[in-house]
Amino acid sequence: MTESTPFLGIEGVVAGYGGGDVLKGVDFTVKEGGVTCIVGPNGSGKSTLLKVISGLLKPRLGQIYFKGTPLVGLTPRAILKLGIVQVPQNHSLFGEMSVEENVELGAFIVRDRSVIARRMDSVREMFPIVAERAKDKAGSLSSGQQRLVEFARCLMLEPELVVLDEPSMGLDPKTLRVMFDTVKMMNAMGRTVLLVEQNARQALKMSHHGVVLENGQVRLSGTGSEVLNNPEIGVLFLGGALLEKPKAS
Amino acid sequence: MNGTAVLHSIIDGVLTGSVYALMATGLTLIFGVMNIINVAQGILVILGAYLSYALSVHLGIDLFVGLAITIPTLFVVGIVVERIFLSRIKGPERVVMSILVTYAIALVIEGLLNIVFSANYVELHAWYVVRSVRVFGIWLPYIYLLGFALAVVLLGALYVMLYRTRFGASVRASLADQTAAALVGINVRRVSTICFGLGVAVTAAGGMIYGATNAFNANSSYDLISRLLVIIVLGGMGSLGGALVAGIMMITIEDLVSVVWGPTWSNLSFFVILVIVLSLRPQGLFGQRSVRVA
Ligand SMILES: Nc1ncnc2c1ncn2[C@@H]1O[C@H](COP(=O)(O)OP(=O)(O)OP(=O)(O)O)[C@@H](O)[C@H]1O
Ligand SMILES: [Mg+2]
Repeated sequence: MTESTPFLGIEGVVAGYGGGDVLKGVDFTVKEGGVTCIVGPNGSGKSTLLKVISGLLKPRLGQIYFKGTPLVGLTPRAILKLGIVQVPQNHSLFGEMSVEENVELGAFIVRDRSVIARRMDSVREMFPIVAERAKDKAGSLSSGQQRLVEFARCLMLEPELVVLDEPSMGLDPKTLRVMFDTVKMMNAMGRTVLLVEQNARQALKMSHHGVVLENGQVRLSGTGSEVLNNPEIGVLFLGGALLEKPKAS
Repeated sequence: MNGTAVLHSIIDGVLTGSVYALMATGLTLIFGVMNIINVAQGILVILGAYLSYALSVHLGIDLFVGLAITIPTLFVVGIVVERIFLSRIKGPERVVMSILVTYAIALVIEGLLNIVFSANYVELHAWYVVRSVRVFGIWLPYIYLLGFALAVVLLGALYVMLYRTRFGASVRASLADQTAAALVGINVRRVSTICFGLGVAVTAAGGMIYGATNAFNANSSYDLISRLLVIIVLGGMGSLGGALVAGIMMITIEDLVSVVWGPTWSNLSFFVILVIVLSLRPQGLFGQRSVRVA
């Protein structure tokens, strides 16, 4: 049986920041059209993996293929051009710039003004806040509003793959729901989504695929519900290191 | 002390301060985008002054016309220094390392200038340096007005570049958040290199005006860099508007103190103001943040 080229294939990625490896050989694939959710304890290397995918960090070993194209060694800009856009974990809007300017910068690598204008229109339609607060400084928005503007900005490239690092961080329950709905909507629009989440339950429920990262390695992967219903996962999120199986008492 | 002297020092402070603001803007731009404190900025100003001097004395080129040569020259010097030395500095100790590296660069340039031009004080000459014009009842050499005009034009050009162009947007984005800038496709490395070039290029203009209003030698750079550092710390590290306001404010206050209490106090006034402002606002007048690491 021959396997077709994966949409995004992560193969044996080993990476760190100079003081030992944070990722110790990560392998998994992301299927086109779905939502893939990476969960795992703090410090397990989730953000590090996303940084490798977007070209911010060069892995020591391994390769990442996007529809067959190797990504390792490409600049973040080249990876954007291929259609992979990332929203990082921390707020990443340029606080002193207006909301509008921020969203426009999402299309920084696009030269054609008319294309940018057209996309601005569709992004405004999808995210009314972009029009309502257009001239306000991005830094003056609430945490949830900033998140939505970040989503709006990342859609300016009409990416094929949207990579989100803990989009729920710092959101209250109501905006959390809006945020998850927006992720679903992006996916329904045909964008493949890869996200990292601490709100594991909620995120896995809406995901087609789940990956559990622990201590720089894939501990488990499967469909969203398989991962969600795996008995070990509860332990993992209660902070237990799964080096050994929890003993039945 | 009399009213005319006070007025004189205010006018002089605003005119001279704008030139300092220009030089400080270069310094704060470099810090804001790159986390580099370029302590060579002082000697680069003097290098700019000597270049104007050489062009004017040996080739008879007018000081302002000469800027068409000295500004691009210093831009290239900045690019080369950034590529060869500064782009290698990485990691959390970047700020401190940058001070050491740029200080070493400053010492080398200072040594070279001493060899080439000797330690004798020189001054730049032109008709507008010696001739004066009456402003608000005060006689001022033309060079003060021309220097002010030059600073306004260059700061204006810098402003237009930063706020009206695509490149400017990429600079402001890099100033705010390098990771986020990289994630929208901005080549932060390239932006950094060009910003260093621009930050250094303004010293050509600043140096020419400085050399036309002061006698100088390579040693004058120490006085300059201490003033420039105080200005950018006071204005808020990385704040372009802060450098402008603090530049004009500090030089004006320095001039006023010198008239009111005497020149010995003027240097001290600089640091007293710095201490007072920083104890009330540690991030400086317009600073967004304290020194950023990584
Ligand atoms: N810039 C950096 N320099 C050095 N070490 C880093 C850096 N960023 C992360 N690390 C280290 O790498 C390890 C993994 O960090 P990473 O941010 O990838 O974890 P994470 O799974 O995203 O955690 P969290 O859920 O807290 O976001 C941690 O031990 C962290 O301290
Ligand atoms: Mg993380």
